[in-house]
Amino acid sequence: MAGSTRILVWDGALRLFHWSAVLLVAAMWWTAENGIMDWHRRMGMILFGLLTFRIVWGLIGPQTARFGSWRIGPAAILGYIRNLRSGTHTPSFGHNPMGTLSVIAILAALFAQVGTGLFAVDVDGLESGPLATLVSFETGRLAAEIHETSFNILLALIVLHFAAIVTYLVFFKDNLVRPMVTGRRAASDFGEGAISDAKLSWLRLAIAVAAAFAAMWGVANAG
Amino acid sequence: MKIRQTTLAIAAIAGVSLLAACGGSDSSAPESEVAPVVEEVVLDNGLTPKEQIELRQGQLKKLGKAFKTISDQLKAGEPDMAAIQAAAASVPVESEGMADWFPAGTGPDSGVKTDALAAIWDQPDLFSEKIGNFNIAAAGLAAAAESGDAAAIGAAFATTGGTCKSCHETFRADD
Repeated sequence: MAGSTRILVWDGALRLFHWSAVLLVAAMWWTAENGIMDWHRRMGMILFGLLTFRIVWGLIGPQTARFGSWRIGPAAILGYIRNLRSGTHTPSFGHNPMGTLSVIAILAALFAQVGTGLFAVDVDGLESGPLATLVSFETGRLAAEIHETSFNILLALIVLHFAAIVTYLVFFKDNLVRPMVTGRRAASDFGEGAISDAKLSWLRLAIAVAAAFAAMWGVANAG
Repeated sequence: MKIRQTTLAIAAIAGVSLLAACGGSDSSAPESEVAPVVEEVVLDNGLTPKEQIELRQGQLKKLGKAFKTISDQLKAGEPDMAAIQAAAASVPVESEGMADWFPAGTGPDSGVKTDALAAIWDQPDLFSEKIGNFNIAAAGLAAAAESGDAAAIGAAFATTGGTCKSCHETFRADD
């Protein structure tokens, strides 16, 4: 398709968030399994900052990052499933309705991970999250137990995410990974409707990054 | 736990059949429907495996709490020495007789929920050695706490924690 314009679907900050989260989850899993808890805590703090950034970005970021642009009502979901089943799959500009559900679930699971990790205490009382000093041993143990359970939920969601990506690639010939790397895909892939580059504003980016650092500073000083 | 659950299950079945019997014409339930007495295992010290396991879990939890207190204080800008000293002093007291907390019959095959591994009874010498290391380190921690020197306390705390981990690695199921 010569001359087709490639449109920006995912802004650079959003992509950086996505791939940082991927690396952090993998590294944090590994450090937890191997008892390297000082690095687990450091990376957890970075993940906490990233999640804070993502929330602010969902409020003030480009259209495809915004929570307000997400369509997850029953009509949107059913319409999307009908579209998939008809075989004339039209890619969504941004998250498709089912993908949005997945994003919400994964973000919620990540928040559960970080939130419980902040207060978690190991069974020996030797290792603990940065805010564990604020809670009792029992509460810290409960947080650690939820931390473990919610990680399994997170893993299941990640597996589902992988499966969905493979399904789109194999059955709909739709490569979702490349746009998450390059940010762009052919404008002609999308149906009718006004779409424009999901460009980030540097001022807004500065605000979101500042919010992330403020949140991290708050936790570091509250513990 | 298994024994207790079985008793409960039998009692429940008996209860249900009693209710069913009430609905019928024959309201006098025969003796055989009452839960049979299940023989409970009793250890040499007079405790059941469940009691022994709960007892040691309770003690170990106290140690965990004491460690959290010390760890919390060491993280604080100005550690509360009195809190550290009280916690550190409690460790040798609460861990007294630890070697006797694991009599035969209180392992994973006791039917009671426990993270204690069979390795404890397979390698008793190594197990007592690990407990000995912990006892020595705990005494050192209490002494360091008395000195009031935060750096010394931090070092003794790390050493003591290391003896916990070293033993748990081999003898406790991964948590």
